[in-house]
Amino acid sequence: MTTLVHQSEVSSPAPVPAKSLITKLNIVTGFIVGAIFCWGTYYALRAGRDMTDTHNVNKVLIISMFMWSLGFMIGIGALIGPFRWLIGKDLTPEEELYMSGEGQGMKRYFKFCTDHKVVGIQYLVAVMVLLGAGGTMAMMIRTNLARPGSHLVLPQIYNSLVGLHGITMIIAMIIALTGPLGNFILPMMIGARGEAFPRLNAVSFWLLFTAIPVLCSAWFLGGIPTGWSAYAPLSTQAGPGMNAFLVTIIIFAISTAVAGTNITTTVITMRAKGMRFNRVPIFVIGCTISVALAVPAFPTFMAAMVQTGMDRTISTGFFDANVGGTGWLYANLFWIMGHPEVYVILLPGVAALLEMLPVFTRKPLFSFPMAVAGMAGIAGMSALVWAHHMYMSGWMPALNGPFMVTTEFISFPTGLLFLVFVGTLWRSRPWLKFPMLCVYAMMWNLLIGGITGVYVSDVPLDGTLHGSMFVTAHFHYTIMGAALSGAVGAIAYWFPKLSGRMLNERASYISFWFVQIGLNVLFMGMFLVGAEGQARRVANYSEQFAGGNLVSTIGAYSVGVGMLVFLWAIIHSAGKGAIAPANPWGAKTLEWTVPYPAPVENFSEEQVVTSDPYGFGKRVSK
Amino acid sequence: MTTNSTKLPHVYSPEVQGRRERLGVRLLIVANGSFLAAMMFTWFYLRNLNTNNAWLPKGVHTFSVASGWSAGAGLILAGVLHGIGIQNISLRRLTSKLVLVVLVIGAYLEWHQMAHMPFIAQDADSRPFYNGAYASSWVIMAGTRMFAYLISIFVALGLVIRGYRVTLNPILEEWRQRTAGSWFTWVAIAGFLSAVTISFR
Repeated sequence: MTTLVHQSEVSSPAPVPAKSLITKLNIVTGFIVGAIFCWGTYYALRAGRDMTDTHNVNKVLIISMFMWSLGFMIGIGALIGPFRWLIGKDLTPEEELYMSGEGQGMKRYFKFCTDHKVVGIQYLVAVMVLLGAGGTMAMMIRTNLARPGSHLVLPQIYNSLVGLHGITMIIAMIIALTGPLGNFILPMMIGARGEAFPRLNAVSFWLLFTAIPVLCSAWFLGGIPTGWSAYAPLSTQAGPGMNAFLVTIIIFAISTAVAGTNITTTVITMRAKGMRFNRVPIFVIGCTISVALAVPAFPTFMAAMVQTGMDRTISTGFFDANVGGTGWLYANLFWIMGHPEVYVILLPGVAALLEMLPVFTRKPLFSFPMAVAGMAGIAGMSALVWAHHMYMSGWMPALNGPFMVTTEFISFPTGLLFLVFVGTLWRSRPWLKFPMLCVYAMMWNLLIGGITGVYVSDVPLDGTLHGSMFVTAHFHYTIMGAALSGAVGAIAYWFPKLSGRMLNERASYISFWFVQIGLNVLFMGMFLVGAEGQARRVANYSEQFAGGNLVSTIGAYSVGVGMLVFLWAIIHSAGKGAIAPANPWGAKTLEWTVPYPAPVENFSEEQVVTSDPYGFGKRVSK
Repeated sequence: MTTNSTKLPHVYSPEVQGRRERLGVRLLIVANGSFLAAMMFTWFYLRNLNTNNAWLPKGVHTFSVASGWSAGAGLILAGVLHGIGIQNISLRRLTSKLVLVVLVIGAYLEWHQMAHMPFIAQDADSRPFYNGAYASSWVIMAGTRMFAYLISIFVALGLVIRGYRVTLNPILEEWRQRTAGSWFTWVAIAGFLSAVTISFR
């Protein structure tokens, strides 16, 4: 085990480049320029237009929202780099150093900062805000469903709650690990001084940031009545809030492509000397597969949203059967993205837990190649299963069988991952810290989510279960039960590296049991009512489902309490937690050799890797 | 994980940086390619499905096959010219400018076609609409191509201006020419594919 502990460096502020615009730009200027662009466009386009025409309203809103995003990016200085490249006056080293935020304290978190660690923390805060908002909406949904006939919210509001909860959580979970840890930790794990495209990295975050107010604006524009899948033609006929949804998705797709490009290039080209692919930490591999999968997947969703926007604004007819369109086109484009997206979310969480498993069992990872093959297999096969979401839509019934087979084949690479977990745990004496508990939780939840996934991928059974609460419970077990457990465990594991302090243990354990018991109660109740036939996305239900729904709502409150405790633990520990030792878990990966606070370029010396990261000793012969 | 330590280099060599940028551009091309593939899927899916026989309703005019190729030709020609400039350094300043000119002309042609689409009809409220799935698919394909033109014009303009800056690192600039070459090769392929696609009416 190597734990090189460097002395903390007290960084001094980088020299301020003379007469450079970048020194004057920050989030405030971003908001100002964004607001000017947005409202200026809004009022300019309104003038002389018939605003009783919904197409005109949609046009004005969509263009204004994009202008907000563009204006913000200009105002915060994101486009200075490309502009300077265009005119042949590249940024000077002083300007690059200034943009890295060295020695600028808290201010750098509110600027266009190119330090990957700053971007990682920015992503972490964004994830927490999104999860908080999405979680609050989930609590409102469950409260409304606690009793039949409850009219806590109007049905229209309920529809919007479901849609906004869905898309908020999907975005939060997509970036939950690759955003904070893929930026903060990953470059350190491969021994890199930074990331391949630091400016693009910051662009990816701030683009996402601009999408958040756009999504929030949906509430003030009548909401999103379509659910997060935004099926056409419902979405083409929905009110103005739908414009916010589609602009959010388009911005998010660009942000994801840029982030995926940056992380993939970083891992391929910036690994330390000697870090062959079989020495790359499994978390790095999981993140890379996830973001590389997102790069081709999300543009198809973006394409579907562009088409939706065109149908809503200029009267094209992609999804209108009267003029030759079809809703099946949307369903195909959406699910070509939609199923890989599940694994974009899941793989980093699973990989993070695989990363910490050898650390807490003090054993080498059982079959590193099998773990890589499992993740690569899942990613590869995820592109071949999209139509299992469309069995009941009537699209190509002849293909139902083949898609059922490809879907069920995903069990094989998933099984490989389980084998690696079980193999590593076999005859070990795990150190039962909080992150290790998350490993067990993830295995349990993924097992249930996975097995019920086989049920709903089965064509005859899907005929009964499609559109029911059973499906909702299935994907929540997978995405929340497995991926979120992985994300929470990963945040706890790397918390000492992120904050220099240990996460409050007692609060973490309390949070763990509230969340894990709660989510099992919540979704088991949902399985029951779903199997009995309760439809999802409906504000009211029959008396016969009352018991299961009440149980689910109690479980949801337990999850809510647990997540609040975890949030408190993070905020409290970041400020007042015990100072963390350099390598509190005794791990062997490179990030633990970097001092806290980490210098801008991470390592003061070039790293040369000479062994694998999981060499925790071999079996001693008896 | 055990490590040895050696002195840290302060800057990356132009070769390292150049290779990195080229890989990044190629990954962005994958994303752009996926978008184009979605557009092509849209075209052929709607065409073959022909819902309510409304792919091309009776009486709706279409663009000629040649006009589709002429709008895509700018992208193809730009890719070829940039390739010649990569191979022959003495011609590079000339080819860079020609690439820019060709792209601007191509973008103008694209815009001109988009401004004179023959398949827009009016509904009962005298509101214009795209009559038929062919019309919808054509306009989004044209928009996709216009996006490729605009990005390419930005890159080409940058290369022309940077060609006159003597203070820039020549090795890194050579890599950037090659990186831009990856993009121009892609847009040439994309221009070809889109022209082939819209030839199927």
